[in-house]
Amino acid sequence: MRLIAAHIRITLLDLVRSPAYWVPTLLFPTMLYLFFGARIVAPDAAGFALASWSVYAVLGVAFYQFGVGVAQDRESAWDSYLRILPAGSLAPLVAQIAVAILFAIAAVLILWLAAGLAAGIELGAGVRVRLALVLAVGAVPFALFGIALGYLVSAKAAVPVANMLFLPLAFAGGLWLPPSQLPEAVAAISPLLPTRQFGELAWAAVAGGALPLASWFWLAGYTVAFAMLAVWARRRDLGRRYA
Amino acid sequence: MPASPVAELEDVHKSFGAQPALRGLDLAVAEGEIVALLGPNGAGKTTAIDILLGLRRPDRGAARLFGADPRQPEARRRIGATPQDTGFPENLTVTELIGFVRHHYAEPRPADAVLDDFGLTDLAARRVGGLSGGQRRRVAVALAFAGNPRAVFLDEPTTGLDTAARQALWAIAARYAADGGTLFLTTHYLEEAEALASRVVLIDRGALVAAGSVPEIKAAVEIRRLSYRGPPAAELPGVARQETNGERQTLWCRDADAAARALVERGIAFNDLEIAPVSLEQAVTIRLRGTGPCD
Repeated sequence: MRLIAAHIRITLLDLVRSPAYWVPTLLFPTMLYLFFGARIVAPDAAGFALASWSVYAVLGVAFYQFGVGVAQDRESAWDSYLRILPAGSLAPLVAQIAVAILFAIAAVLILWLAAGLAAGIELGAGVRVRLALVLAVGAVPFALFGIALGYLVSAKAAVPVANMLFLPLAFAGGLWLPPSQLPEAVAAISPLLPTRQFGELAWAAVAGGALPLASWFWLAGYTVAFAMLAVWARRRDLGRRYA
Repeated sequence: MPASPVAELEDVHKSFGAQPALRGLDLAVAEGEIVALLGPNGAGKTTAIDILLGLRRPDRGAARLFGADPRQPEARRRIGATPQDTGFPENLTVTELIGFVRHHYAEPRPADAVLDDFGLTDLAARRVGGLSGGQRRRVAVALAFAGNPRAVFLDEPTTGLDTAARQALWAIAARYAADGGTLFLTTHYLEEAEALASRVVLIDRGALVAAGSVPEIKAAVEIRRLSYRGPPAAELPGVARQETNGERQTLWCRDADAAARALVERGIAFNDLEIAPVSLEQAVTIRLRGTGPCD
């Protein structure tokens, strides 16, 4: 535990001192929300939009912190050195995950704060708890996907590849425009996407009532698939670099 | 029964694709020794140290640290090693990096002492990203000693250091060894092995060539290039190989002094005589592979 704390500490310190990295990661979802989402003030739709952008904020961390972060780390000589230290090869990864969770929480809190201050949109305490729970669980498959991505692509390719996947998935999942306003072809595939199922849970969390069981199953399926992909990609990469 | 060696490679084979890097290498480092693994570039030194540090797995044979598999973190508790200085987390300070590494060890060396040893006290609060190449290199080596380990592994430790920094490092290494520490280093400078090592293991093309004291290894590989303008001389003593290029004769000598004396004794009309040391690469090529410097 002490070791993991030390790994978390240096990972966090290194990141926090690169504002050029974390300011955009934390503020980008809030900025987009203020441009597009905050104009929606009709009571139901406003909560719906804020839920969508909360999902978007969490996904951003999963894709960029993991996808890009893992890809960069594994190309650095420091990563090899961490493997020589008597810590076990999982400590750096656990630290990455912990830091990503902190970043995701921060990104969502900033978004909620901005929604309240700039647009007067406040979620009730109960809704916040429900939404936070959905966000925490829903982030898991995407974090796994981000890890897989990080082990599969080079550091150079990681940002463009993450963009290529993240932006269409967010759009087609109905996070920018509600599903009812999506173009017909996109609307047809939308329900198959993990972003859409994540969205469904988030929308239900703010709408009140039961969280749709089918969406949980979809996300559970994606979690299993992405976990297998992540484990395979990590083994493949470690096998190459440290065989 | 003797204690198990600090580090051990037993008939280790390792290939990368079709390219063999190690071909049945045996190696043992006993407690308190300073062993230099010497070899020309591409001899397999880095592969050997990577396997000892648990970064790579032998294709065949075994690697052990204190009798245990180096791939187990437990086995690495008592060793320290250097990172490559290119990959530091740039935004951490020197103190933070040293503190982080110290966390991994049961009885680390006091941070102030580590800073002091490597002349880093004035740089303690500086971020690593802003340090010069030589300063980063010193930080990298300091990290190997920060945990107060019983054995330290240094891969080409003085590459990129100026003479003063190199000598400072040698002094620290010598003191560490005098206090009972075990040191294993790879180098392709005979000079570095000479300054530090109690024993030298010479490898070439992935296999052991010779092991012994520094003078023994020196006798086995040292070579000097003697050249002069004048007629060629046949069968000079101490010459391993010779070449004629117009007026200019070049002799690769195991014993350049003997060759020079013979030139004089035979009354060969030479001028512009030069004697210079050659790199380990060339020496190994000429003396061990039996091929000339031209191939």
